[in-house]
Amino acid sequence: MTCSEVERVLPELVDGAPDGAFPADFELHVKSCPACSDLLSDLKLIADQARDLAASEEPAPRVWVRIAAQLREEGIIRDAESRPVLVPVSPRRRWTSTAWWLAPVAACLLAAGAYVVSHKPVPQVASRVSTPAVTTPTPENSVMKAAADSTKAAAVASATRPIPAAQSPSRKFAAPADVVASAAKPTVEPQPSAEDQQFLSVVSTRAPSMRATYEDQLQKVNANIREVQAYLVRYPGDADARQQLLDAYQQKALLYQIALDRIQ
Amino acid sequence: MARVQQMRIDHTTVLTLVLVAYLSSTAFAETKKEFTYTVGPKANISVETQFGAISVKPGSGTQVLVTATFRSDNVEVDQQQKGNRIEIASHLLRGNEQQASRVDYELLVPPDATINLRSSNGPLSVERLQGDITLEGTDAVMNISNIENGHVHVRSMRGPVSLTDVRNGHVEIDSIGGDIHLEAVTGPLVQARSGSGRIFYDGDFGSDGDYKFTTHTGDIEALVPADVSAAFRAHSVLGRVRHDFPLQPKHSRFREEAGRSFIGTSGQAASEVVLRSFSGKIRLKQQR
Repeated sequence: MTCSEVERVLPELVDGAPDGAFPADFELHVKSCPACSDLLSDLKLIADQARDLAASEEPAPRVWVRIAAQLREEGIIRDAESRPVLVPVSPRRRWTSTAWWLAPVAACLLAAGAYVVSHKPVPQVASRVSTPAVTTPTPENSVMKAAADSTKAAAVASATRPIPAAQSPSRKFAAPADVVASAAKPTVEPQPSAEDQQFLSVVSTRAPSMRATYEDQLQKVNANIREVQAYLVRYPGDADARQQLLDAYQQKALLYQIALDRIQ
Repeated sequence: MARVQQMRIDHTTVLTLVLVAYLSSTAFAETKKEFTYTVGPKANISVETQFGAISVKPGSGTQVLVTATFRSDNVEVDQQQKGNRIEIASHLLRGNEQQASRVDYELLVPPDATINLRSSNGPLSVERLQGDITLEGTDAVMNISNIENGHVHVRSMRGPVSLTDVRNGHVEIDSIGGDIHLEAVTGPLVQARSGSGRIFYDGDFGSDGDYKFTTHTGDIEALVPADVSAAFRAHSVLGRVRHDFPLQPKHSRFREEAGRSFIGTSGQAASEVVLRSFSGKIRLKQQR
């Protein structure tokens, strides 16, 4: 086994063998290669630290349940085809999961260590971002509800704790493009919420020529909201981003208001 | 020969008939109505049209003159005056809800009047007034110029908004996707927000004012003179931020991050300027 092969399989091996049992050829190489030996030691240390960190930072299960319920309500996730994005699992079960979960964790921590990682770029964190509860305003009470929702969303955004997998010590280690990509504009546009669908239905009835315009703008403001929410999952302490989330909700309220003024 | 002359006469007759028919149809499609109102100081004037332009200019001290130009007969204008309040609204006639029909308005109003305009496609323009102004549109191009002391409120979905030489009042502009252009706009509060539109400011930020420009994805650019007197704070969560002239450092609770934010002052820092974006670029430039 060569050094490059060791670096490639190392994260998976560490995850799959927490008790330290590795394949024979791997162990043979590590014993004879000081660089790879140091790499293995450092990765084991980081993985151990990550376990402790995840255990201490695990949100209460009710948080995930509430978020999953809201996502189902909005049609972003469905019970039939796929399991929810966020599933409350016990810490013990988490650590017996397959390597795919730990690989991003290890990769992020390795990047933080810098000197123990090869020159490969930091892999993207899986887009398992928690989306805080989103309540969209109804046409009949758009202004008041949107203001209340924006306040609630801002509060939720500030209270939301990151998934340990997505937590990284500093934004410097994730280039802006990576953050944008992983800040989860989902690959598939989620279904409009019930309130948005009701809003578009009213627009279709009273101003059908304007439906396409409002629907297009609604998709854009919703995308902006999701973008900031996803970012706040990773960086909940960013006060400017929380303010941006509030602004995004106010934009949505503005859209509702303009539409209502138009169709009444 | 006679046959040729006869053909020419027939040709001329046909052309004449066509011309008369065209003029008749044009005259029918475009009719004007005028409304005149007498008002006191600080009259409140509201004009709403689903489709059409609205233009407001200053007139005499006590009269409001409204000229409505109808492009078809499928629209009706409702107008009423209650004391110092005038309301004018055009709407499609019953049974013609799906047809777009345009009514253009031209108003001459007292300079201190309060103006409320609403149109889906516009354009909307207001100039040389001193009262409060509120504009709302979907795709309407909005132009506001030479406004002194009045508060300006603008709400737009996608239409571009342009303010020129607006002073001494509160300015609040909210746009979802339209660009916002501010030139020589100063006042105690100037706030512009756009989701995907661009915000451009050309001016000196006055004195003792609060300026807040916010976008989600749109870029923000401010062009200022060398002797600008303001405290600047700029931050983009994901976009690039830069300033092209030196700023004095300023102690602040906000953390400065190279390329993502800057904090500093110029001159006496008479005004406060906050530029924020989620992923747009922010640039502070010096006028040449």
